[in-house]
Amino acid sequence: MNAPSLGIILAALALSLGIGLLARLRGTRSAVDFQLAGRQFGVLMNACAICGDYVSAASFLGVAAAVYAAGFDGAWYAAGFAAGFVPVLLFVATPLRRFGERSIPDFLGRRYRSERVRFAAVLIVELIILVYLIPQAVAGGIAWELLGGASIPGISTYASGIVLTTTATATLVVIGGMRGTTWNQAVQFALLMAILLWLTAVLVTSGFSYADAIDRIDETALTTPVETAGGGEELSEVTSRLEDGPAYFGRPGARYGAVGHFALLFTLVAGTAGLPHVMNRFFTSPSGRAARQTTVWVLVFVGLFYTLAVMLGTAARDRISAEAADNPWLAELTVDGVLRVPEHALLALGRLYGGETGLSVVTTGAMLAILSTIGGLLLAASASWGHDVYERHINPRASRTEALRAGQLAVIVMAAISLVASLPLDPGRVPSSSPSLVASLVTMAFALAGSTLTPAIILGIWWKRTTATGVVAGMAAGATLSGAGLLWALIDSGAPELLQTPAVVAGPVASAVMVGVSLVSRPVDDVEAIWVTMHGSAGDRQAERLARATLEAAQ
Amino acid sequence: MAEPGGRPLADASLTDFDDLVFGVEDDGYSSFHDVDTSAEVDATFRSQRRIAIGYFVVFLIGLVGLGLSIVFSGWAIGNRVLGGFSPSFLLAAVGLYGFFVILAVAAGTLANGVDNQMLGASSLPWRPRGRLRVRRRPR
Repeated sequence: MNAPSLGIILAALALSLGIGLLARLRGTRSAVDFQLAGRQFGVLMNACAICGDYVSAASFLGVAAAVYAAGFDGAWYAAGFAAGFVPVLLFVATPLRRFGERSIPDFLGRRYRSERVRFAAVLIVELIILVYLIPQAVAGGIAWELLGGASIPGISTYASGIVLTTTATATLVVIGGMRGTTWNQAVQFALLMAILLWLTAVLVTSGFSYADAIDRIDETALTTPVETAGGGEELSEVTSRLEDGPAYFGRPGARYGAVGHFALLFTLVAGTAGLPHVMNRFFTSPSGRAARQTTVWVLVFVGLFYTLAVMLGTAARDRISAEAADNPWLAELTVDGVLRVPEHALLALGRLYGGETGLSVVTTGAMLAILSTIGGLLLAASASWGHDVYERHINPRASRTEALRAGQLAVIVMAAISLVASLPLDPGRVPSSSPSLVASLVTMAFALAGSTLTPAIILGIWWKRTTATGVVAGMAAGATLSGAGLLWALIDSGAPELLQTPAVVAGPVASAVMVGVSLVSRPVDDVEAIWVTMHGSAGDRQAERLARATLEAAQ
Repeated sequence: MAEPGGRPLADASLTDFDDLVFGVEDDGYSSFHDVDTSAEVDATFRSQRRIAIGYFVVFLIGLVGLGLSIVFSGWAIGNRVLGGFSPSFLLAAVGLYGFFVILAVAAGTLANGVDNQMLGASSLPWRPRGRLRVRRRPR
């Protein structure tokens, strides 16, 4: 790694650390401060932080990689990621914030007046977080390896990247808590957007034409590197799943058939509302109305982000094959002009158009995307272990410091587990039938969330009759079905398309079980009081009055 | 009614308020009476449910119906519009995001309007009593 590259990455890390320390100086005195930043962040700030949370390695590297490898089908990933916030806006954001708890298990436990629901939700939340953490760490290893970063003695460059990103994020989260992480995520998302805009500007000024690129790529069938019987490598045509013959970049079918497209969209749309690290962010809004406005801004920001990511994935497919022969470093990464690891697409594009500095800038972006998402995931893990398990059951008389320490310990433990689990998953060595290993692993987390937490949250908000027994039964059914489907798809590459994104089956089944069991069990007694809190706006009005009063007092 | 180790449920919003006022000493500012009645909330809930379901149907029609039918039609794949893009690629790469934003702005505006019109009618115009004292956090 050269000096400018190291300088850019160290500057980004120093900025993040500085923000964390500044937040600490402003005060992380209690578990509410640590986990919810005192519920004091405004609409735009929170929207940027949610985007920082949401735009993970799967979005920054994975979407461009999926578009690079599968063309049109990869663009569906991006559309699904963004579409997920529409149901969040319509059904979840405002009532969730008005009910006002600290975590998703806390929300479900109090809504259904049940510790069983709380515990079931904690288990599912931790599972989702772990499944989501692993691809972030994998992406950290990929980015570090391509940058030619230093190796820790005794382990590979890839593993060193995983250790570096996971350790750095855990440190930042422990230092800054939610306040520091929120600032970091907002700043990091702004930097990510700036990097994508810079790369787009460089491409466009160098004469790149989006539509012409698609036409050029579509002149030949899509190809992907495969190993030959003799241990060598060659390009193989991708067969279309929608038509007879090969797949083409600009047409659907390279990765999914008709059912697969629908299942992927359903899984991503349903999963977003159940992602604990993203939904936890809504608790940091000052009011329900602010949470609603925040979601609208999130849709604006993610729309712009994914539009650029899809375009850059297209540009990578077009330019890398054209430039591979003239650039020895690129030839090493490719087989006849096609990247072995699709996640290298954006990084290679950065180096093609910005040299070593360009590679460093894009790698820094990848690192920031990874840091901000891992930060949010670790905080969500901290909230569920620290608050829902430790504070409520292990040590109900915990002091502020003890609760804070429990949350910080949860951060360290989850970071360590994800680090160990991600070490064997080097995409360069693990065969994968998916266009992007990182994006596919993240999709598994969406599938789990959409099959368990999303129906529990939405039914809890919109149907008074939902019961604790029904929700526990539904979440168990959803987790079992989606888990079995995902495992089958992992083991058998010829598994039906539906099993690769199983929320389309498991989500409706979980909902049906919740409704069916709820109808024969007893709902909570004081559901009217719950409704007043969740769907009334007295809390919003109080928050607005307080904000006015604080402003008046300050003048 | 209180949960073991928890706070009274009906005071959930007040606890949020407590979080907000951390650092602000209550001196009459938080003691005003402003609550939503069950009847008001129930009526608002029904209206919000209609809005949410209505816009969700539009979302589904746009995403699944329009999206998939255009994507899988030969015309949308083979033809060229706006600078040379096929309609299907243009829709997946750009068009859907615009659709989501327009839908979100419309639904959010309508939901805010319903909240404003149907809730808070019983609350009196706010008149501060006493003096607000801002207390520094203990260091």
